Amino acid sequence: MAAAVETLDPVKYEIFMHRLWAVGEEGRIALQRVSASPIVVQGGECMQSFYDPNGRMILACSGHLRFAAATSDAIKKIVEWFGSDPGFHDGDQIFNNDPYVAGSHTYDQMVIKPIYFDGRLIAWTASSSHTADTGGVMRGAATEIFHEGLRILGLKIVEAGQFRNDVCKTIVEQCRDPYYVELDLRSRIAGNNVSAQRFLELVDQFGIEFVEAASKKLMDDSEHMARAKLRSLPDGTWRSRMFASGMRRPEPYQIICEMTKKGDTLRFDFNGTSPQLHDDQNSTLPSTLAHVTLALTNTLFWDVPWSDGKMVPVSVSVPEGCILNAKFPAACGGAPRVGQILVSAVSDCVAKMLYAGGRYDDINAGWQGLWYEGGPGYFYGGHTRQGIPVAQGLYDIHGGGFGAAPLRDGVDSGGHSNIPSGGISDVEWIELQYPFLYLTRNHAPNGAGYGTQRGGDGTHRVYMAYGTDDLSVDFRPYAGIPNGGFGLFGGYPAGSGGLRAVWRTDPDDIKSRMIRGEYPTSPAQIIKEKWGEALARSESGPHASVPEWGLISDFTQGGGGFGDPLERSLERLQADLDAGIFNAWAAERFFGAVLGENGKLDEAASKKSRAELRAARLKGLSNPPSLHANNEAKVLAQPHAELDIVESNEGPVWRCRQCGTVLGSARENYKKLAWSVIEPLDTVSEFPLPSADPFIGEFVYYFCPSCGIQLQVDVYCPQLGGERQWWDIQIELP
Amino acid sequence: MRDTWTIGIDIGGTFTDVALIGNSGAVHMNKAPTTPSDPANGVMDALRRAAESLEVPLFELLGDTQRITHGSTIATNALLTRVGAKVGLITTRGFEDTPYIMRAIGRVDGLSEDEIRHVMYLTKPAPLVERSLIRGVPERMDVEGTAVIPLQTDAMKAAVDDLVEKENVEALAVCLLNAWVNPVHEQQILDYIESRYGSRIYSSYSHQLARVAGEYARMNTVLADCFVGPKVRQYLLHLEHQLHESGFGGIFLLMQGNGGLASPEQCTPVATLQSGPAGGMLAASQMAQLLGHQQVLTADMGGTSFDVGLYSKGYWRYASEPVFDRFRILQPIIEIESIGAGGGTIAHADPQLNRLIVGPQSAGADPGPACYGQGGTMPTVTDANVALGILDPDYFLGGAHPLHPEKAAAALGEVAKELGLGDLEVAAGIHQIINGKMADLIRRQVIRSGYLPAEFVLYAFGGAAAIHAVGFARDLGIQTIVVFPTSPVFSAFGIAMADVVHTKMMTCHYSLPTDPEVVNSTLKELESELLEVMSQENFSTSQVKLRRYLTLRFRRQMIGVELEIPWARFGENEMDEIQKMFADRYQTLYGKGAGNTDAGTELGAIRVDAIGPVPKASLRPQSASSDKPPAIKGERRIYLSGSWHEAQVYDWEEILPGQTLKSVSIVESPFTTVLIPPGATGEFDPYGNLILKISE
Repeated sequence: MAAAVETLDPVKYEIFMHRLWAVGEEGRIALQRVSASPIVVQGGECMQSFYDPNGRMILACSGHLRFAAATSDAIKKIVEWFGSDPGFHDGDQIFNNDPYVAGSHTYDQMVIKPIYFDGRLIAWTASSSHTADTGGVMRGAATEIFHEGLRILGLKIVEAGQFRNDVCKTIVEQCRDPYYVELDLRSRIAGNNVSAQRFLELVDQFGIEFVEAASKKLMDDSEHMARAKLRSLPDGTWRSRMFASGMRRPEPYQIICEMTKKGDTLRFDFNGTSPQLHDDQNSTLPSTLAHVTLALTNTLFWDVPWSDGKMVPVSVSVPEGCILNAKFPAACGGAPRVGQILVSAVSDCVAKMLYAGGRYDDINAGWQGLWYEGGPGYFYGGHTRQGIPVAQGLYDIHGGGFGAAPLRDGVDSGGHSNIPSGGISDVEWIELQYPFLYLTRNHAPNGAGYGTQRGGDGTHRVYMAYGTDDLSVDFRPYAGIPNGGFGLFGGYPAGSGGLRAVWRTDPDDIKSRMIRGEYPTSPAQIIKEKWGEALARSESGPHASVPEWGLISDFTQGGGGFGDPLERSLERLQADLDAGIFNAWAAERFFGAVLGENGKLDEAASKKSRAELRAARLKGLSNPPSLHANNEAKVLAQPHAELDIVESNEGPVWRCRQCGTVLGSARENYKKLAWSVIEPLDTVSEFPLPSADPFIGEFVYYFCPSCGIQLQVDVYCPQLGGERQWWDIQIELP
Repeated sequence: MRDTWTIGIDIGGTFTDVALIGNSGAVHMNKAPTTPSDPANGVMDALRRAAESLEVPLFELLGDTQRITHGSTIATNALLTRVGAKVGLITTRGFEDTPYIMRAIGRVDGLSEDEIRHVMYLTKPAPLVERSLIRGVPERMDVEGTAVIPLQTDAMKAAVDDLVEKENVEALAVCLLNAWVNPVHEQQILDYIESRYGSRIYSSYSHQLARVAGEYARMNTVLADCFVGPKVRQYLLHLEHQLHESGFGGIFLLMQGNGGLASPEQCTPVATLQSGPAGGMLAASQMAQLLGHQQVLTADMGGTSFDVGLYSKGYWRYASEPVFDRFRILQPIIEIESIGAGGGTIAHADPQLNRLIVGPQSAGADPGPACYGQGGTMPTVTDANVALGILDPDYFLGGAHPLHPEKAAAALGEVAKELGLGDLEVAAGIHQIINGKMADLIRRQVIRSGYLPAEFVLYAFGGAAAIHAVGFARDLGIQTIVVFPTSPVFSAFGIAMADVVHTKMMTCHYSLPTDPEVVNSTLKELESELLEVMSQENFSTSQVKLRRYLTLRFRRQMIGVELEIPWARFGENEMDEIQKMFADRYQTLYGKGAGNTDAGTELGAIRVDAIGPVPKASLRPQSASSDKPPAIKGERRIYLSGSWHEAQVYDWEEILPGQTLKSVSIVESPFTTVLIPPGATGEFDPYGNLILKISE
């Protein structure tokens, strides 16, 4: 019988907790040092964690958040299916990579090990990492999970302490690069060996009763802390709507998220989300739940220990058959991308809730603001000049920009929402392993969401196929709609620059110009100086060949902006111009700036232009509502950076912070009370799509009908329909 | 006979330490407060105090000094405080944002796990170069060293001139892509800067500082060097001048982060980063050789941090890509792990969760622990040790700063009330929890290196380590702890015992077995560069000891294992042998079955160290010894493991070699307190070291 939690010696508990974390770290260090995956070693896409006998997570160590939540599901399923036949025994280790059980796609692979003490199952440990090769069809071409190669529900890779060479060979020979897959598989076993052995030493040191009671306390404490945090925030409902596009057809889909916070509970409802797709851009239910957990861990529960306890107050409802709960046997190789859009949807709601709660240090606009999807992705096929297969992705997306915060710009090339401590590879290391020559990797011009506080900028690259005659890249149809970004309170969801394309070049021409010291470092330069022709669409399905000396240009996601860009300080805008974050076009177009002949901002002219632009926003507003200022009224809530909810004789009303004007009842969607303007994205984009297709979305701007301050920039997709005046903030009012 | 001296100097954050070793084997030490505005003053003060205690004029002491070896924190402080030169950067056009992109990982580098979890809050540090002072020049080297795009010299010259003449930069950093494989473009830039500006401008080139792949860290290395370079140079000139004025005519050498000395001319300023900790490690290795210890852990616990280093069979470990403060830097810096656990670490209660949380916040020097009486109200580790009776409030820093035990008690009382515990229980709990955290850190550090903690002897230094050492060592199965009389100036002592060391490393990319001559030619290239440097240091080829290392990994792996090779050149046999050595070492590190030998082995880096042995005095054992019980200075009650104990208190200065101490005892000197708790005994060896043995 475990000791009662409240009687646990706090000193002993503190020592135990730190030691358990250190044990998991030891396991993760072992895993990372054996792994062959750059994404694991440098990108940190791995996790070592502990579970109670029922599969509930006790503690996850640092690493990839997605895995921690997922493995819990795998243990529960494996126990259900195989617990009695063939059963589990001391010294077993079980391999799993079925995304319908746990994880996001077949590349999320885990090895699970039961830990026994005195012949009794006392815990599980698991190590998970990303291995980007499971055989199957080329990435992006799958339409059923059967195309996605290796899918193992549960196989003993180690049995009673004995490594199963037959199982190992059978698994790795399904893949294109068996050496690499085997190293990764062995790295997980190494991680588990270390963790399990050390866990048993903890049992020796602290006693089994204490370890079991302390494990329970860890989970209970997490739940307690999560509930306390929720109680400290205002009640209400927040809604978000994110767009993205599929792999095979330029069809947009949407993720709809409604988040209701009441007391110490949080409820998510994804009703209204698009049906599953016929390509691999689908998320299974385990993947969806893992990404909701991940989003909350980053934003709301960052200071709550990583155990299953923190998710107890959270409930999630996802309709079956939608893109977030795809029905077997849908392909789901692209699930992490769907997951990112989902993370954005959740983060949008949470950011606005945190704003209403005054937690300004914890608020970022969106991290996934991709101006559009389509063209070359980042998965390659082919061979290097040494004849070694190129089977892995180039993960520059792990260096995307983060969203703007209320009091500062977003972090440029900050990282990736899934892996808080990840990073991107050095170009020199990439070139040691891939047949590329990079011509640039810099911050992307106009890649950050515009705002008073701008988003963090992503990076852009121009690189060349070099020293290979066998190279292809996954290639998706162009779909002109921002993917998964959101701005806050008048900031833009994404920057509108960047050009993602495969460029066919003339090798003799490019060689001779390079000898003269010429080379392009931006897509604008490729066009202007005629370095090549952009491929409009792939001639061979979901991937495109890249001949030697061919060029690829692309950009990574940037952060959303915060607040009206016309309010950005000119001094900081000048610094953006100097650093190439924005160019003159964007400075004029979105920030209302005027540049002098020396290329520097003209302060007086800029101020004048900004005033004119602000006035012009309300053009056509023929019948302004009867407005009155009320500065003395009691402030009831501050759920928006430009709008307060204040008391009035008519009940709570929205009031503009800038001009004091009352917009109308706070029980109403403020967007219906604001002045709105629609702008098609074609006119916002710096470059047309290489396919020459029109953009498929529009921006909907909302302004204070009195002073013209920008309150919100929404993306809307007419093709998908639905409510245009999306109701995002609905505070619970007395 | 008059002694001639070697003097080691270490400038620390609070004190500047000097250690004097005479040819007779005599050791003297002294301290003076560090003087941040002009650190040379603190150095001269400390030397003056040493002369006073030896009762000779400073001029005479320095006149009798053969060698001054110096570890300074000038570079370290310039980086930590971000006060340095105005730096310009020349890089490959198209990669100007590299120091700003920071491989994205710059957002978290150098931060603790707790800090990293607050993802919405974290930002990147400001780079060491303004974005407006970065110039890209057209050129591109491929990964095999072919110039796909030749350096455009006109554009290069314009960029350099612009930075120097228009922007008035004080230092120029040059780092081009793939210069590690072929530095010819960087050399062209060097030639131009040298010919046009000569010594008018400080400049630094990535291929000279690190022939290692990875442009982000390499770029940081040149930037850091430029940032601190002018300041370090200026300081050294100033100090050398003062020393000469005061009678010094001997050799002046600088301590580097690699644990070796270099002349001011051959020492790159960035190489002096972390020379203090390197001095500590060096002292440890000297003592290990003297005492015959094969495997040693060093534990340095001060006011805010706990630092752990590892020494095994003649070697210490270098960090593979060290992070200094928040920047990755490619310099051979001794791997020392650090956590926020020191005397000033704060404890607080979470009554809701019934938790007693210790750290990572620290009370720092101001306000410091509650018992300092400077306004601190939160209980710290030091407060706990005062309440437990381990620290004598009237003998802190030799009585120079009396402590306020009632303030410690009040702070602990607040926490105790919140948790419903007794004051002493909380104090004992803080002591135990911090011991647990330190044990965890040491274990992680040792395991990462492929060893088990129980195989090690622990060297405890820093003001607080010897109080906690038995506590955390017992947890790790360590049986022997050594505390040194030189512990208060341990780094300075190590610096005085150092040799001249230069290191060269080069990234490569070969599948094994490869043609032995390929490896030999790189070895030859590195060795001839090093011998050239060593001849500048006045070492002939025959005097120089070379050590050669290879980094190997299984194909497709990212992180390798570094092995010292026991031969000078490779033949076919050695090629086979090295792969076997690697497979063995790999198995030791990561366990059976972890490696995949079928994947093939790759050679990732070659490193050569050149060591110029400096003649040094050896420590002499004291002849006086005693088997009588030592003189007791006093007695006091201390609370340990749930009950009060009567402890004997001894004065370190009064104890003779051979004398043994039983638990429970306290040994005090002005800068160190040693606790011998139940289950441990102490004995002084002939060198005056206190050896603690843990029996249970």
